[in-house]
Amino acid sequence: MNDIEVRRVTKDYGYKRGIFDIEFVVKQGEIFGFIGTNGSGKSTTIRHMMGFSKPDHGTISIRNLDATTQATDTKKWIGYVPGEIAFPELESGEAFIESQADFWRLKNFELTNRLIEIFQIDLRANPKKMSKGMKQKTAIIAGFMNDSDILILDEPTTGLDPLMRVKFLQVLEEEKAKGKTIFISSHLFEELEHLCDRVALIRDGHIVSIANINEIKHPQEREFKIEFMNADNYQRFLEEPFHFDRIRPDQNQVFISVDRLDIHQFIVKLSTYDVKFFIEIKYNLERFFKDTFNYQERVGIEL
Amino acid sequence: MSDICIQNFTKDYGFERGAFNVSFSIEKGEVYGFLGPNGAGKTTTIRHLMGFSKPDKGSLQIFGMNAFANHSTILKSVGYLPGELALPAGLTGVEFIEMMKKMRHVNDDTRINELIQLFELDPTAETKSMSFGNKRKLAIVVAFMHDPQVLILDEPTSGLDPVMQEKFIEFIKSEKTRGKTVLLSSHIFSEVEALCDRVSIIKHGHIIDEFPMSKLKHNENKTYRLTFEKEQDLNSAFSKLPTDIYHPEILDGQRLRVHTNDKNINQFLQEIKTIPFSDFEYERLTLEDYFMNYYYDDIKFGGIHK
Repeated sequence: MNDIEVRRVTKDYGYKRGIFDIEFVVKQGEIFGFIGTNGSGKSTTIRHMMGFSKPDHGTISIRNLDATTQATDTKKWIGYVPGEIAFPELESGEAFIESQADFWRLKNFELTNRLIEIFQIDLRANPKKMSKGMKQKTAIIAGFMNDSDILILDEPTTGLDPLMRVKFLQVLEEEKAKGKTIFISSHLFEELEHLCDRVALIRDGHIVSIANINEIKHPQEREFKIEFMNADNYQRFLEEPFHFDRIRPDQNQVFISVDRLDIHQFIVKLSTYDVKFFIEIKYNLERFFKDTFNYQERVGIEL
Repeated sequence: MSDICIQNFTKDYGFERGAFNVSFSIEKGEVYGFLGPNGAGKTTTIRHLMGFSKPDKGSLQIFGMNAFANHSTILKSVGYLPGELALPAGLTGVEFIEMMKKMRHVNDDTRINELIQLFELDPTAETKSMSFGNKRKLAIVVAFMHDPQVLILDEPTSGLDPVMQEKFIEFIKSEKTRGKTVLLSSHIFSEVEALCDRVSIIKHGHIIDEFPMSKLKHNENKTYRLTFEKEQDLNSAFSKLPTDIYHPEILDGQRLRVHTNDKNINQFLQEIKTIPFSDFEYERLTLEDYFMNYYYDDIKFGGIHK
């Protein structure tokens, strides 16, 4: 089942600003990532998913209800953490959390209290005077407290330090294990690669590509870098029928691509040489998007 | 001579907050990374290095001068990019740049225009109405408008989009080749890995480790992961590999992690060539993993930990 369906959505603000023909689905229980530059349409897409804005064309549905016309109903399922947080005039973070609890008519504060403990947040401070990190943590607690089935998170880790980021990612993994559907935008490739099932790249209002993280983490082709003890071994290895991506004769180094199915054979071969060290050059999400990008530029795909 | 030299710097705010006996120095042309969570003492150290505050003990020097006593002299050759920005209200970006030009006695616009172009800043808007990313770009232009010798950067790319992050990294690399000295405090490990020559880690106000980046990049200790179709093959591989050399760990019913040193690599290849694994992967030691080892107890809360 798809919890979120975005079908050919366009919102044209003129001057090439906006989103154009955006299409993707988020399955129930999936973590779906969204990355792109500022102004590329990330927040515009999210605001349409939240029903704050009406698309020019196309439809967005949340569990088969229309995100725009039935927003009052769809929002009941959604926990939302906005990208830019504007706190109301309240004397403390505690008062803000209470106002959010009233909004949700929350009876069970177990999750709220647990998150307050995990993020070690002091809610006595005035939200307007909080540091970026504290504001972010307060917004996360407000977005998560209702234990909603769908989480829509607009750059939730901006302003968090490394320890808080790791804790937050652990919380998200717990939520996923509970069956939650999560949509998250971020500026950090590594974070999305670690967390998501799929990631979409958006550029100038168009979705460039949607990456399947499992395929990126476990690609069919592996790249290895090998340095040999001496020039003799290096020269002899060059005779092997491998696919050489690059060679560095002055350092006795080779870069080769090996199919996953041939890896055992590769190790057997390598054991007949005098090796200094060898490592795998990992493929990653950032490289995937750069490759896609360059390919599109090269063949001249107009977005 | 080091451009930046901090010796036994202590500032005690009570309740174990502050910085305690912090020492490090940064050579001319070096990029030095400063890692730690919020509240560990990074910004305290940086603010004292900028001469905003007087230390309880120890000394902080830039170009051999006392940072507090010679604050205004030093500022002429230092560019400071703070983590959280407070821009004056009621000014446009252009007016703010003009104001800072006067303060810094900058008469030449060449560098300013270069920076505006490089970071694609539109400075015509009023500062308060600028987006977060634009505010940061404005701060970058203002921090480096006088082409300083020393750059002090406190989480410079926090909140910047991927393209701008990369631009910033390229900018710092080119400043390094021009012989500039950089102190970089950052929460983004990939940026520190890409830029820094040396790194220190601060915890509860104390520096707990300082190391050259090459320690991670050219580490002779390697970790590999073997995947098996059959659990019995995994178990026999586990018992075959000597524990004292390869420290094998069973990750689950399919995967085995082994550790080795490059001086044993040929022996290792001999050991594993007869093992029927179906996949073989290398686990790179990342700066993030290295850093998190020092904070393992702080990130555990009984949740899922990978």
